[in-house]
Order: sequence, then C-alpha cells, then structure tokens
Amino acid sequence: MMHTIIILDILAKPAFYLDPGSGSMIIQMVIAAVLGLGVATRVFWKNIKGWFTKNKGTAEAELDPTEIAEPESPEEPKN
Amino acid sequence: MNEKVSGSFRDPSGFMFRHEGILYRQVNLHYRQEYDLLMASGLYEQLTKSRALIPHTEESTDLAPVPEIAYKVIRPQTVGFISYPYEWSFDQLKDAAILTLAIARRALEYGMALKDASAYNVQFHEGRPIFIDTLSFEKYEEGLPWVAYRQFCQHFLAPLALMASKDVRLLQLLRVNIDGIPLDLASSLLPTSTRLNLGLSSHIHLHASSQKKYADKEVSQAEVKGKFSRGAMETLIESLLSTVRALKVKEINTEWADYYQANNYTEASFEAKRAVVKDFISKVAPQTVWDLGGNTGEFSRAASELGIPTVSMDIDPGAVQQNYQLVKKNKEKNMLPLVMDLTNPSPALGWRNQERQSLRERGEASLIMALALIHHLAIANNVPLRDVADFFADLGPYLVIEFVPKEDSQVARLLASRLDIFPNYTLEGFKQAFQARYTILEEHPVEGSKRTLLLMRRKD
Repeated sequence: MMHTIIILDILAKPAFYLDPGSGSMIIQMVIAAVLGLGVATRVFWKNIKGWFTKNKGTAEAELDPTEIAEPESPEEPKN
Repeated sequence: MNEKVSGSFRDPSGFMFRHEGILYRQVNLHYRQEYDLLMASGLYEQLTKSRALIPHTEESTDLAPVPEIAYKVIRPQTVGFISYPYEWSFDQLKDAAILTLAIARRALEYGMALKDASAYNVQFHEGRPIFIDTLSFEKYEEGLPWVAYRQFCQHFLAPLALMASKDVRLLQLLRVNIDGIPLDLASSLLPTSTRLNLGLSSHIHLHASSQKKYADKEVSQAEVKGKFSRGAMETLIESLLSTVRALKVKEINTEWADYYQANNYTEASFEAKRAVVKDFISKVAPQTVWDLGGNTGEFSRAASELGIPTVSMDIDPGAVQQNYQLVKKNKEKNMLPLVMDLTNPSPALGWRNQERQSLRERGEASLIMALALIHHLAIANNVPLRDVADFFADLGPYLVIEFVPKEDSQVARLLASRLDIFPNYTLEGFKQAFQARYTILEEHPVEGSKRTLLLMRRKD
C-alpha cells in the first residue's frame, strides 16, 4: 500500500521538482530580454560599422565556458 | 544490508544508498526517460570525458533498496573526501560555480537542462571540481525559464558576491542557510556600489526585488511557457558566467599566509622539520592524511607528494586560497585544501542533522598531523591538553604532532598579554597528558628551534 502510494505519487510527475519561485522566473525573462536586446544592438552596430569598413563583423570572441571542464589529453585510464 | 544515505532524499529521481560499504545510486522509474537521454545523447560521454561529471557503472537492479520504483542501480566513482561549500575558499566556490554553468550550457547543446544548481552537487576530486549528481539532468523544453536559476544565485552568486565585495568570512552564511543565502539578505548586505555592477544588480538586487514583488502571486508553468527562448536561456547563462568570472577577492588580509616568512624557523631547521615529518609519514604509510592547521599546505605536501590523499585544513581563508591556487597551478591530485575552525569544526547539518556530515563523521583519517597547532588550542583557546588528545584521537589512529614550548616566540606572544594559567604546558606535561590516549613511538627535537616532533599511536 505504502509503495503504491509512492509509485502513484512519483508517476504523477510534478512540473518542477524545485520550486523555481515566481519572482525568479519573471526576473530571468526580463534580464534575458534586456541583455538579449543589448547583444542584438551590439551586433547591429558592429555590422553597420563592418559594412563601412569592409570588415564584416567578426564573430564575438568566443568565451570559453569550460576552462575547467575541457578534457585533458591524454587522460590516463581510470581504475 | 542496504542503508539509505541522507542528503539525497529531496529528488524523486533517485537516491544514494550504501551496500556492503559501497556507495550506489538507485535511479527511479520516474527518471527513466531522462536517464536514457543523458546516456544516449552523448552528453554523459562528453561530460565524463572532460572530467566535469563523475563517471559511473550500471549494476544489477537486484541491489535496489526499493525495487518497485527502481529503473537502474548505478555505482558512481567514489570521491575520497566529501567537503561542503562552507569549507571552501573563494576560488574553490568560484570554480564550482563556473563548472555548474559550463555544464548547464553544455547540456543545452544535447537537448538537456540542469534541473538543479546546488553547490552540494560539486565535490573536489583529484584537485578539480567535479559534478557528482548524475540525476540532475532533464529534457530541455524550449520556452521554459531555468528552474534552477534561483538556486544558482543563492548557492553560488550570493556568497561569491558577498565574499568579493564585503568579506570572505561571509561564506559562513552558507552554514546557516542550507539552501543558499536568501537573496534579500544578500542584497541588503552587499555594498551599494554593487548596484552599478550589471550582473550583480540584475541577478541579486533586482532578483530579490522581483521575489518580494511576486512573493504572494502564483505564476504557473503554463503562464511562462513559450516566453523564454533557447537564446534567452543561453543569454542568461552567459550573463551569469561573466558575472561570476568578474568576481575577485581583494588581497585577503591574511593572518597566516605569510607565516613562513616570519616565524621561528631558519631555512635549515625548516628543512630539518620537513625531513622528520617525511620520515614519520613513511613509517606509518597512511591511506589518508588530515593535516590540521595546515596553513598553505607546506607540510601537507610531505604526504600528498607521496600519492597519499591529503586534506589540509586551516582556519585562515587566505592561506586556504593560496593552497588551492598551488593545487591548480601544479595540477596536484592528492591535495584538498579546506577552511576549518578546529575549535568549532563543521557540525552535522540539515534535516534530522543528517544531510551534511560533521567533520568527525567524515573520518577517520589514518594519520592526523598537527604541526605548530597545539599552542593555539591549548593556550589561545584554553583547551586542556587531555581534551586536545581526545580530539585528535577521535579523528584517526596515528598522530604526528609538534610540541611548541613556552620559550618559543610564538607562544611567548600568545602569553604576553594574559595570565599564564598553564603550569602543565611543558614537554613533560604534554607527553603525560597525551599518553592517556596514545603510545609515543618517536620523539625528535627540531634542529635549530626549541620545538619537538612526536609520532604517536592511539591506544585502542
């Protein structure tokens, strides 16, 4: 009985297992929109500038988000 | 006999358990689709290859403690010592934050998202941060905001910002707030100048205001669905990344990090001490070492350089930070620097006091080192020598200890401004007190100083 309850409970998948928080959901939409606008504006001006200087806007310098997570080569075998 | 491991009970996707001393994770049927996607999409392979996620093997489901809801039983590679964010230096927390965001971003490429961003999902393994929760991934549904955004800000961004802009000691707020520092608290503690920082003003100050504004308003998933594109998600993660990256601690006003430049040792006696410590370590041949009061890890390295997993604990965040920077620079695999106040070591915390283990519960280490520490405990902190012996004996069977007598300038300094109420604080008194718990195996005066190194074995 107990386990049936657990199974039913678990199969009734909740939308989120963490409560994302209403305020936290709203603000990230606002932040992303504003920042997205900033990026778009930068790209726009870069393209305009590039058009005049005949230097078609090079892609923004790649951020490396994985300076920690990049593979090290060659890796010695584990265990 | 299976024993459920506390600390992983909140997630319906599965839980950790111990069977015959080995740590396993039950993956529940509830998580089946997500688990299969993680394994089949290539994300698991990518993340484990890059040493971002702990690798695991699949084991027989016969081991499952709750078979009715079990999909798989997996055995993750074990991490030597479980440490907690409130024991890390600034750079350790920062690297753990960057790792978490890097994984969140990488997951998107494989059609998955991180469903939680808890700092407790990161451990230090072989000198690097590694993500240990295999069940933190879910299928990415475009249109939905990042469910773990609030958690990331509470667990990582708020403490990092407080440490960088105010005081590194504020990390200890994580000890009290097990789900991270509440953003309204962080916002009110941060200096006004942080409002001029685009990242901090949006992810902490505005975020806190938004939480307050919507505190009693329900916003359902349906209402936000479709309003947060994948590009928006990428922008958000990118923004968090650059905010975290830009945070730096000021030159930490450190109590001990320059200790070796201004102490009782000449170069020669320093080397002599190192030789004796090395000799003692090789005699014990320990599996693990905890160096208590390890400062920047100078002597902890006598053990770690022999390939022995070593935890170097010190009360001074500046010294621990320096130690961690050395670990990174030299790619050391056996050294874990941690911030620890030995007069008040990490307690058991969380639900039923079982979510986070106390320092003692995470023992024993086969060898405890306590070099230039005894006077801080016995004199500065007034702990009777017998109790100091009990404390060390709780943590491990062997002890390498340095006795620092009253004639030493460091002790003289401690006694300069107070009454000397320690008549038994002599080498003889010390040995007598410790012999209640230990057998003294070796005793060696440190050349060129008034100190003595001793090797002891606990009486069992």
